[in-house]
Amino acid sequence: MHSVKKTNFITGIFTYLVFICVTVVVVFPLLYVILSSFKSNMEIMAYPDRYFPKEFTFDNYIQAWNSDSFNVGRMFFNSLWFTCCMVFVTLLTSSISGYVFARGEFKLKKVFFAIFSALMFMSLGSITIYPKFEVLSMLGLNKSLWGLIVMQCFGIPVVNMYMVRSFVNTLPKELDEAARIDGCSFTGIFFRIILPLLKPTLATLAILSFQQSWNSYLMPTLFTMSRPDQQTLIVGIIALKNSGEGAAAWNLMFAATSIALVPVLVVYAIFSRYFTAGITAGAVKG
Amino acid sequence: MSTITKTINKNKSPKRLSDSTQCYLLISLQIIGFLVFTIYPIIWAVSKSWFYYNGVDAETSFVGWENFAIAFSDAKYWSSWIVTFKFTFYKIIIEIPLALVLATLLSKGRKGSNAFRSIFYLPNIISVAIVGVMVSNLFDYFGVMNKILSALGLVKNPIDWFANSSTSLGVLVAGSTWSSFGINMLYFCAALNNVPKDMYEAADIDGAGKIRQFFNITIPMIAPVASTILLLAINGTLHVGEYILVTTGGGPAGTTNTVGSYLIDAFVPGFADTAVNIGYGCALALITTVIYSVIAVIYSKSTKKLQNIY
Repeated sequence: MHSVKKTNFITGIFTYLVFICVTVVVVFPLLYVILSSFKSNMEIMAYPDRYFPKEFTFDNYIQAWNSDSFNVGRMFFNSLWFTCCMVFVTLLTSSISGYVFARGEFKLKKVFFAIFSALMFMSLGSITIYPKFEVLSMLGLNKSLWGLIVMQCFGIPVVNMYMVRSFVNTLPKELDEAARIDGCSFTGIFFRIILPLLKPTLATLAILSFQQSWNSYLMPTLFTMSRPDQQTLIVGIIALKNSGEGAAAWNLMFAATSIALVPVLVVYAIFSRYFTAGITAGAVKG
Repeated sequence: MSTITKTINKNKSPKRLSDSTQCYLLISLQIIGFLVFTIYPIIWAVSKSWFYYNGVDAETSFVGWENFAIAFSDAKYWSSWIVTFKFTFYKIIIEIPLALVLATLLSKGRKGSNAFRSIFYLPNIISVAIVGVMVSNLFDYFGVMNKILSALGLVKNPIDWFANSSTSLGVLVAGSTWSSFGINMLYFCAALNNVPKDMYEAADIDGAGKIRQFFNITIPMIAPVASTILLLAINGTLHVGEYILVTTGGGPAGTTNTVGSYLIDAFVPGFADTAVNIGYGCALALITTVIYSVIAVIYSKSTKKLQNIY
């Protein structure tokens, strides 16, 4: 019995050792960037291994927030409204389509469901931006973030739709029938009965789509090529990195990166269980 | 019941749209979107792959299978596949065992496991673009990684990570693993939760050690799920493109371009040259898609045995 205790103790030590090592590797880059954003540019260049700035300075933030060529303030608000619109649209499309495929009865239901499920695998990759631009340019929407938002209205977030659908399937049908006797239409049942019950699922979806939209790089880049004033934070940071000035402007880049990181980190700190709930639900059902 | 509701419906509001019409209306945007943003682009790309097309209609000409013929001798394209396979191989071989070990250790339910799990998942929520920025700063020639390594006495002279294609690829693999091991760990955690606890108790009574239990119970029990996790991981890694683009831009000299980043870099507006042959890009995109599907089919055929292991 004694030896069992002893091996348990040793494996315990080993486990925590592994955990702590991985934690250091995970947290170090993030802390490094955030701490460096308070250094002066000279200190960043000369003393990369001085982790805590000698003097905490907010100059980088002030400079980046007000800069003309790299206006982080404007980028932040672009990221903000773009993300809000994308989250709103995603919630609406995924909850409506999830409801229709859970409760609706129509001839082509199975066909559409199969087609939409196959959507996940149907893409020719980045080249399809040309035909998409072609269509959107007819509506004059290929040159701003609004185009991306409009395209999202027409998109079908398959995994989200599965999540809503499986949740609606767990709700008793009697609810619908009671509402129907009271004179509710199919659409009315969704807005009056189902949508309020969907709140927990929608919270998960909102957080996941917030993270996706806030973090997305390629599509916002393509849609803001001719509209630099609409660049989101992520787009702007990479644009600065790729420009010649990037190498000399690590201070601005660190400040902007920290500003881009903080909202996601805060949301994660508060709602981390929603993140993981979404993952496992998607893993089992999607 | 349904007949009753139908009659009630009819009596109450004779002009109301039928349920199925409402269904079609509710998902009408998605149906249109499917035709316009999924089917049409595929048709467009397939049809353009037979043309020389640089965006100017007047200069467009039909070239038949020529685009495909050129593709087969395009060294840049095929070397990007080799990079993709190398990148995937190194990343998976580090990431999956790491994720599995962490998930196993977390599943013991020691104190603080939940907190550690949240921390390990943290990199997953960060934009790959930001990961790219961080990686390029940390591994800069004058950056902190070189300082740490020389302080530890591991290197004498600082390494110019991004000047050499193999160190460059190594850095890319490290950053990419950092960013995505967490999700695989979560998948493994979910899989391990489904292994019945009494199997371990029985093994304990029979005197099997922890390591023996891991290989003789855990691995076989999670094998079917693990093969799916592996498929998702491989598939995701083969498609990596943006991350490469923002970290190294394919450099040095295009030697770290994966297929994904090469196709963006060479053909997508804003990255590509202005008069690039888009028709050729379409041909490459088609070939790429076919190769992706062949890989997926081969994978699922070769792991079929794992699906009914118990």
